[in-house]
Amino acid sequence: MVTAALMLLWCFFLSPFTAHAEEKGEYIAIRKQGAGKIALVLDRSSAKRGKESEWAQELDKIVRGGLEFSNLFSMLPPPSNVRSGANLNFGALSSVGAEVYTGGSVSKKGGMVNLDMEVYDTFGNKLLMKKSYSGKENQLRSMGHAFCADLIELLTGKKSYFGSKIVFVSSKTGSKEIYQCDFDGEGVQQLTNFRSISLTPVLSPDGRYLAYTSYSSGRPTLFIRTMEGNKIVSVSKNGVSVDPSWRNGSEVATTLSFEGDQEIYLVRSDGAIARRLTNSKGIDVSPSFSPDGSKMAFVSSRNGLPQIFIQDVQSGQTRRLTFSGRYNTQPSWSPSGDKIAYTTWEKSGEINIFVINADGSGLKRLTGGARENESPSWSPDGSMIVFTSNRQGGKKLYVMSSNGENQRRLLQMDGDQMQPSWSLFR
Amino acid sequence: MRTVKPLLKGMFIPGMLFLGACCCEKDVVVAPEPPPPSVELGDIFFDYDKSELRAEATQQLQKNFDWMKQNPAGTLVIEGHCDERGTNEYNMALGERRANAAKDYMVNIGADAARMQTVSYGEERPFALGHDEASWAQNRRAHFVGQGGVAPAAAPAK
Repeated sequence: MVTAALMLLWCFFLSPFTAHAEEKGEYIAIRKQGAGKIALVLDRSSAKRGKESEWAQELDKIVRGGLEFSNLFSMLPPPSNVRSGANLNFGALSSVGAEVYTGGSVSKKGGMVNLDMEVYDTFGNKLLMKKSYSGKENQLRSMGHAFCADLIELLTGKKSYFGSKIVFVSSKTGSKEIYQCDFDGEGVQQLTNFRSISLTPVLSPDGRYLAYTSYSSGRPTLFIRTMEGNKIVSVSKNGVSVDPSWRNGSEVATTLSFEGDQEIYLVRSDGAIARRLTNSKGIDVSPSFSPDGSKMAFVSSRNGLPQIFIQDVQSGQTRRLTFSGRYNTQPSWSPSGDKIAYTTWEKSGEINIFVINADGSGLKRLTGGARENESPSWSPDGSMIVFTSNRQGGKKLYVMSSNGENQRRLLQMDGDQMQPSWSLFR
Repeated sequence: MRTVKPLLKGMFIPGMLFLGACCCEKDVVVAPEPPPPSVELGDIFFDYDKSELRAEATQQLQKNFDWMKQNPAGTLVIEGHCDERGTNEYNMALGERRANAAKDYMVNIGADAARMQTVSYGEERPFALGHDEASWAQNRRAHFVGQGGVAPAAAPAK
């Protein structure tokens, strides 16, 4: 619903945006030369009446929260003389070190909440963006986040993750059930109630389907259900089904063992088996696909202890990706296609998240010195990674920048949380 | 009307009680069918990251096969389990290989494959809850649950 409303907003306000396309490109070019965070003054939104002031306050909070979550900005308080009359005092803004100023006004128009936002480059004294957002009173969060998404795209040239969801497993009720929440941990919602063991949820790229493994029928079985209408298909084959992953929008890859060995198969979203992908003695598990679906990273014990391999889906040609570390599992292919995050069980006993280029170069450790860190999953823009850690006791969900910086708890919730998977839609 | 009113009033309370009882019934959890009486046979244990049978495991598997012979109507569920180390998804597959290794051996010594079922629990259902090698060794197991038969006799004292 919210996504649909946002789409409408997007279409509605797309036209006034194009006029600034050139300035936008220019700004990004300037940004690329300077490193570090963007110094931003986020001013309070102005509003006339009581109700509008309440909305303005709420929207300011939402926008601030969204921008802080991105970790892209250093937020400066507006200087007291930020306005001289109706005009912005660019001199004052520059003197406090602000690179970008944004502020707006909130009003009621035709029964809807209206948010008019402006973004200025404070050094060039230039308007970078002017855009209106409109929605119902209960859509303030989507409106605020739509602005955050536009601002970040304007300043970095990249689409963001506002509007994306994270699905995960929690033992909150005493049995492992599947939940979803927004990108920032808000709006937690329980999706299954089997009172069994449900594991490894993953949303289809368009968000219409959820694939997961559940013991609700007595043994681990792959289920694919629609998010709306709750239609469920299962793959009723003998043996296990482990750790599904979407390939493009239409197929799920999962490990099945009905032919004896644990091999990875492609299953259509109606539950029919399309074809077998792996053929090796030993465990083949945890597929993750390149964005175009042409290559699959997966875990195999064909050489002994588990390592990560990459297979060309068309030709079947396979090469080993990981040579460092004895026990490497849980590959997650980045949405930009160049990197793969995975976990290593290290000699020290710690489990840590690493990232490696798809060609095997550029190995980098992202976590360390904090017990067990598992199940990495990329945000749809590739700027962040959600993962599980027991660094503070129980297993909880954390997020970090894709370079490992700024690791923090995603949400507060009872019980253990694990196996997070970030949606590709946003 | 005068006679009807007290009658209605008189019916009101039992009526509400009846309705209340009906509503309550919805909340009563219906007990599931009692499972067929099951008996636990002896477990076998595995080395770290291995699904190959240890030498001593084969003796236990022979005993479990004997139970199947003594209980011709009995069936066997073989659960594969792993310790908490390593990652859950990989261990789901490893647990299945352990259960299958036990089943394959029993088929080879003459057990009827149709009377055996395997299920992997990976690291989801640990037996020992400690975080040390003693607990982990306990949890790397194949667990045998016999259904539709009698409990195995205790080993005769020598």
